[in-house]
Amino acid sequence: MKEFNWSKYSKPLILVAFVVILSILRPKAFLSLNNFSNVLWSVSVIGIMVCGTIFVFLIGGIDLSIATLCAFTAVVVVEITHLLGDTPVAVCVGVVAALAVGALAGAVHGLIITTFHIPAFLVTFATQSIFLGLAMVLTNNKIVSCTVPAFTAIGAMKILGFPLPVYFMLVMAVISWFILRKTVYGRYVYAVGGNSMASAISGIHVKGVSIGCYVLSGLTTALGGIVLASMTQQASSSTGSGYTNDVITAGVIGGVSLLGGEGTVPGAIFGAVLMGLLNNGLNLMSVPSTHAGLVKGLVIIVAVAFDAMQHADQSKKKARKVKKRGESV
Amino acid sequence: MAGSTILEARNIYKSFSGVPVLQDVHFEVKAGEVHALMGENGAGKSTLIKIVTGVYSKDEGQIYWEGKPVEINNYQDCQKLGVACIYQELSVIPPLTVAQNVFLGREPRNGPFIDYGKMNRMTQELIDRYQFPLKPTTVVDNLGIGQRQLIEILKGLSQNSKLLIMDEPTASLSGREAEMLFRIIEQLRSQGVSIIYISHRLEEVYKLSDRLTILRDGKNAAVLEKEEIIPAKVIETMIGKVVDESAGSKKMLHSDDSAEVRLDVKGLTDATDRFRNISFQVHIGEILGLGGLIGAGRTEVVRAIYGIDKAASGEVTLDGKKLNPSPRASILEGIGFVPEDRRNQGFIPLLSTTRNVALTNYDIIKKNGAAISDADELDMSRRAIKAIDIRPSDPDKQVGVMSGGNQQKVVLGKWLMRDLKLLIVDEPTAGIDVGAKDEIYSILEELAQNGVAVIVVTSDLQELLRVSHRILVMRKGDIVKEFKNVEVTQAMVLAAGQGVEQEAEK
Repeated sequence: MKEFNWSKYSKPLILVAFVVILSILRPKAFLSLNNFSNVLWSVSVIGIMVCGTIFVFLIGGIDLSIATLCAFTAVVVVEITHLLGDTPVAVCVGVVAALAVGALAGAVHGLIITTFHIPAFLVTFATQSIFLGLAMVLTNNKIVSCTVPAFTAIGAMKILGFPLPVYFMLVMAVISWFILRKTVYGRYVYAVGGNSMASAISGIHVKGVSIGCYVLSGLTTALGGIVLASMTQQASSSTGSGYTNDVITAGVIGGVSLLGGEGTVPGAIFGAVLMGLLNNGLNLMSVPSTHAGLVKGLVIIVAVAFDAMQHADQSKKKARKVKKRGESV
Repeated sequence: MAGSTILEARNIYKSFSGVPVLQDVHFEVKAGEVHALMGENGAGKSTLIKIVTGVYSKDEGQIYWEGKPVEINNYQDCQKLGVACIYQELSVIPPLTVAQNVFLGREPRNGPFIDYGKMNRMTQELIDRYQFPLKPTTVVDNLGIGQRQLIEILKGLSQNSKLLIMDEPTASLSGREAEMLFRIIEQLRSQGVSIIYISHRLEEVYKLSDRLTILRDGKNAAVLEKEEIIPAKVIETMIGKVVDESAGSKKMLHSDDSAEVRLDVKGLTDATDRFRNISFQVHIGEILGLGGLIGAGRTEVVRAIYGIDKAASGEVTLDGKKLNPSPRASILEGIGFVPEDRRNQGFIPLLSTTRNVALTNYDIIKKNGAAISDADELDMSRRAIKAIDIRPSDPDKQVGVMSGGNQQKVVLGKWLMRDLKLLIVDEPTAGIDVGAKDEIYSILEELAQNGVAVIVVTSDLQELLRVSHRILVMRKGDIVKEFKNVEVTQAMVLAAGQGVEQEAEK
């Protein structure tokens, strides 16, 4: 007598509902491979970033520096490409340098947070301003464009009808899912997020696990910055502005708890795709951008409330089951 | 002592999803009595209390307050009648003062402003009346758990409560704090306040209660008057089988010195002077009990041995090999550790039994490349569940929603999946029901028979005598007494822990 587990399927169901509604309202514009490819392309940067940031969420931390680290790494890749003569090799060096900068930024976050026991939001709030400053200094606060074919290909090249960033997102999702679901490190991440003291007593190197999470977050933020710069063929201190909110929102819509210990990669990717569909739908329905923010906010609240309701329902059921077995004290 | 009936619950029935939890239960509390409510986990104590306080609705039956039928649909209803519940999880707010906590949300006003003078005076009056060791202006942050609990009680009294419900009030208190609470309870009783006292600790119930209602399997098993409350009888009624209670008060200790030394601690000294120059040995197959009062430094010593905290000086060797002070290194050498604070240090509440049991054991769980073998992980969890009867037996069950006894089994279970040389357990049965306690004792005994050295830190004297082969007693950071191959009584251990000379208790 197994009840249908709504909460387990609520996310795919919301997606399907969205797709059905949009298909009925705008069948021609919405239901094309080209449009799907567009939606995925537009969410790919957020998707890539959330694959790393989810680690930070899972240990109960947060990263407020996503947007400006994205700008800083975008500037790094573009500036280095120019500096080394706009060759394909220069692009490669730039990409590696940007990724290194991202990883280093994450390591610094992790070290400061775990060594001095400062809340993550304070540390990343401060570094956000530092990264913005660095991006401004490197560009003299101007927009630097970059149309080197080897660079623009990162964001625009298509394979089987889908642009490269979509594949990046998928690969990152698979890697991130694998680490969290299959490796010992992943198990430790959930344990540290669930109870760091018990984890330490169980022999887990809590500090190391935590720093690793921030490094992964920095890496994916840098990859997102590279892809975004390539897509827009330019970099400036405002590259990726607003992405901190978008990445956190994608995680939250996807059921990742900001208190730590709970959340999955498929959930987070769902959150990103749902946000993309929403933007796309508003676009196709010709909702003026002045109203789009309003609608987006409402839909986010509905989605999160829905998830919270499912959670409440689940925990009630749990409580009931415990009572039924007579195991309450 | 006992006056008129203040609260009565008659013919209470309650079932969850068709499973009866309470069947035809009667419960009666008189004015000015301490009425204990006992029963094993799952006997229905908690459900009954939740019905009385309006958390659950009842299926059938009637509740009477001072003889009149009443409907209690929520906690506000029961507060209005004059019932206050002191929960295990305290709800005091640390940065506020005692008075601010007591009158939270009901502050006396002077125009738009809070009249702090009046509030402090009102609090002082309450404190004087019931002789609580508190001051209205102390900030709660500086107070211990015991005093915080008193604030909760004071809060209830400030609303003119006639009935206080205390659910496991001593679960997180030290011996001294518990003594203070008992004194307060006596005081309240003499002022005519009724108390429903729920506890697993039998000796508290014998000491305090005027009457005792025992529930078993959701039915009334017995209501005992004070003179009828005899330990063996209570336990027998509660669990439906005979337990030799008198065996708990004294014991002939036997230890085998010929067994090889497993753990050798030499001159272990704490950096902040919580313990100093601690030296002792544990032999293969020996259960060493560490007794003493709370705060004697026992927990700090075992934490240093296991490597959670680093000692300032001293040496620890296991099987002749010097230990590196870190939990990871200790685990790899074959040491297991069950911490005293189960909820905060023992397990990961959001994670399943499987993930909790596997947490320390990924070095021995099979892997395919970097990927953990889910099958092997699950297999380990199933073995643990079977070996020590963890319930529910669903390996995917979140540990956070299980009962205390089963949570402790999960914490213990992960160590049983390894080749252990030494197991350290700190207050292994705090807040656990009698049945699960017995199971945990047999696990420890079985480990010892298989050659594992075991250190048990416990403040429960009966438990200390029951499981130990040899007993060390600590006091204020020193080992003050060893009991070895002698007959020892609870009183002797207690006297040593309190620094009282032996002849004093004779």
